[in-house]
Amino acid sequence: MKNSVSLERRNFTIGAALGLGAVVTGISGVSDLFASIDKFDKEKGAFSIAPNIWLEIRKDNTILITIPRSELGQGVRTSLSMITAEELDADWDKILPVNAEGDSKYGNQSTGGSTSIRVFWETMRTAGAQVRLMLVAAAAKHWGVPANKLRTENSYVYESQSNRKISYGELIEKVADIPIPDIKSIKLKSPEEFKIIGKTKWHIDNPDIVTGKAVYSSDFKLQGMKYAVVIRSPHIGGKLKSFDDLDARKINGFIGAYSIPEGVAVVANSTYNAFKCADKIKTEWIDGPIMNVGSDIISNELSSLLDEMPDLPANTVKSFEHIYEVPLLAHATMEPMNSFANFKDGKCEIFTMTQNPQTARSAAAKALGIGEENVKVNVLLSGGGFGRGHRNDFVAMAALISKLSGYPVKLTYSKEDDIKNDFYRPMSVHKVKTGIDKNGAVTGWIHKVASQGTVKATDPQYDLPGIKNLDVAKNYGIPTGSWRAVNNTQVYFVNESAIDELAILANVDPFDFRLNITKDTRLRRVLETVAEKSEWTRKLPKNSGRGIASFAGYGAYSAHVVEVTLSKAGELKVDRIVAVLDCGIAINPGNIEAQFMGAAMDALATALKSEITVKNGRIMQSGFHDFEWLTIKEAPKLEFFVIPSNESPGGIGEVGFPAVSPALCNAIYNACGVRVRKLPIKHTSLKVM
Amino acid sequence: MRLNINSKYYEINSESDTPLLWVLRDELGLTGAKYGCGIGFCGTCAVLIDGKARRSCITPIGELSGKNMIITIEGLSENGLHKLQKAWLEIGVSQCGYCQPGQIITAVELLNENPNPSESEINDKMSGNICRCGTYNKIRQAIQIAAKE
Repeated sequence: MKNSVSLERRNFTIGAALGLGAVVTGISGVSDLFASIDKFDKEKGAFSIAPNIWLEIRKDNTILITIPRSELGQGVRTSLSMITAEELDADWDKILPVNAEGDSKYGNQSTGGSTSIRVFWETMRTAGAQVRLMLVAAAAKHWGVPANKLRTENSYVYESQSNRKISYGELIEKVADIPIPDIKSIKLKSPEEFKIIGKTKWHIDNPDIVTGKAVYSSDFKLQGMKYAVVIRSPHIGGKLKSFDDLDARKINGFIGAYSIPEGVAVVANSTYNAFKCADKIKTEWIDGPIMNVGSDIISNELSSLLDEMPDLPANTVKSFEHIYEVPLLAHATMEPMNSFANFKDGKCEIFTMTQNPQTARSAAAKALGIGEENVKVNVLLSGGGFGRGHRNDFVAMAALISKLSGYPVKLTYSKEDDIKNDFYRPMSVHKVKTGIDKNGAVTGWIHKVASQGTVKATDPQYDLPGIKNLDVAKNYGIPTGSWRAVNNTQVYFVNESAIDELAILANVDPFDFRLNITKDTRLRRVLETVAEKSEWTRKLPKNSGRGIASFAGYGAYSAHVVEVTLSKAGELKVDRIVAVLDCGIAINPGNIEAQFMGAAMDALATALKSEITVKNGRIMQSGFHDFEWLTIKEAPKLEFFVIPSNESPGGIGEVGFPAVSPALCNAIYNACGVRVRKLPIKHTSLKVM
Repeated sequence: MRLNINSKYYEINSESDTPLLWVLRDELGLTGAKYGCGIGFCGTCAVLIDGKARRSCITPIGELSGKNMIITIEGLSENGLHKLQKAWLEIGVSQCGYCQPGQIITAVELLNENPNPSESEINDKMSGNICRCGTYNKIRQAIQIAAKE
């Protein structure tokens, strides 16, 4: 997973160093994200130098680091800055991360699959090291001393003997004459030499966030821009037949209503007036293709596709065959999808919350019927992502509405619109058939999944014989997409629940059972550690229980133990979650813990109560009041441990999720003997023995 | 009409049925209060009105006058120095950060009413503010830190 370090840019920058264009000056309440652009004074000469596309050093010693991935709250602006600053020996307090626009020169900009660190780990370290070597060479030439007599620290080059020092910023003009070091000649630091990596840095944007200055996608403003909202079919897949905007035209601030492929776009002089106008527009719709379909029907039809299962080997003496089911889930980001677009003279500039500015660029170009070279996509902070921003429907729509209305526009989805028109985590029904021989050894494992077509069974992370992963599909046309940890939210719930059932079938402790079926040392270590930290064999009170589950993926390993208590009335309380992670080198430990905390809350919410349901071809939920999420009252404490390691860094954001819901359901079984095989758990009556 | 926001008077052009949230965001460019749900359920839009945390997305400006003291996250302190903002920075509460201005505003009301809240009092007061990133443990901890200051 390497990206080549591009060296195509090597120039002094005069003026607008970030290349964001004139639009930027229209931002109101601009934060440091775009600071200093207008402060350049031509008479002072060179303003900065950008020796490669990842770094720019300014005369005042500020260091700009290009961030190719989108910040969704996972901390990528901070962690990629840390790894670059580490090799550059940069002064952390003068780092300014700058979001890259969508351009293939930055490599893969798809923020997903917990890949940002894994893809850019070597690239951005190398970029930092390369520029450091050039600065050292420039200082050596300036002082007339050998480069090996110099050292770097906090954005200064020091000469050890004379105590001379010169700042990186003072060297920018001298760097221009230095040959660019060959990447192959660059030696990166070993973990023992790290000064920044491995020590917690809270998000670099936090000071702006807590004062309300941070610029999220929805905060972007250009003088003269108008506000757009969209009216869509109440049914999945319904199409606009006609609309009547006579009453909307009477509302102050109405600018226009336009037919677009998704329905009707309404443009007004404020977001509120656009919503008000939309309420007054009468629409007629052509029915969608699944007007008689509901979640119960889909569940039954998918289950019936699982009737035929292959046989287990003949030496199987005990076996089971169980059905598991998970529902549709919305992403429900705090910030509903939105995008700014300004189409003018055949070109379009976008400011938005996409998770992939390159595909956003092509989506906008396609909607406008222009070449991608005429579209520029700038990425702002996202109020959450969880996979939603991989779809750029809101970007394409904003671009089209700008073209149709003739104005720069900001399109905002209402929360209801956002929930009802998501690309959902798919619903799936699974059947697992597995068993043991007379010695208690597993004989085979058959996992068959039925979904709209995108969910695939994957191997359990253990050494099992006779694994068969099968899938069948029936497509209802419900839009689906990637959702935090993608396939693993469903498949690991099923695999790790069924492994637990298998342990019980074999009459072996679920922790011991897992250890017995894996030789993977990293997996064993997280399992052993979570058992030790949670005191796995400690006796629990009556009506309490514990469950264990593990996950391997995204270049990392995790294991969770969940403890629960049931009240006499059958109310479930999650008492404790213990999590252990082996992610290789832990770049930003505090942030990793925060990601694990967040993933555990996500997993608990979706295991306990969140679901999207369909009735008569309509999505039934419209906000957090009916697509329920955890509140602070329901948030248990998380005890979190990282295995020290010098392995290459693995993913984080997705890794903390998949083991939580099976560990929880395994704990419920341990507490009361009820096996939950359908999420959310709220549908299962939990009885205390 | 005139509104007093962050100790400054603004002449408002929006109509009286317009929720305060959209006046702040679209008309005045004060974007610290966020749009989350539009029905007063999630708390991202919270602002202080006469010391009480109110959902600005369901508060029409017609219900307000220049006599009301409106404080948004931007006006809570000079340079983020309110004890809650400092506590939020000290332990790095934010992930995406979108809900945090609303969380902080709600916590201001909590500490105004109850300078030393217990964990369950914190939970009761803050349970109307949703954080989709799951920062609840740190929100609880930051409020406790600020309460001790």
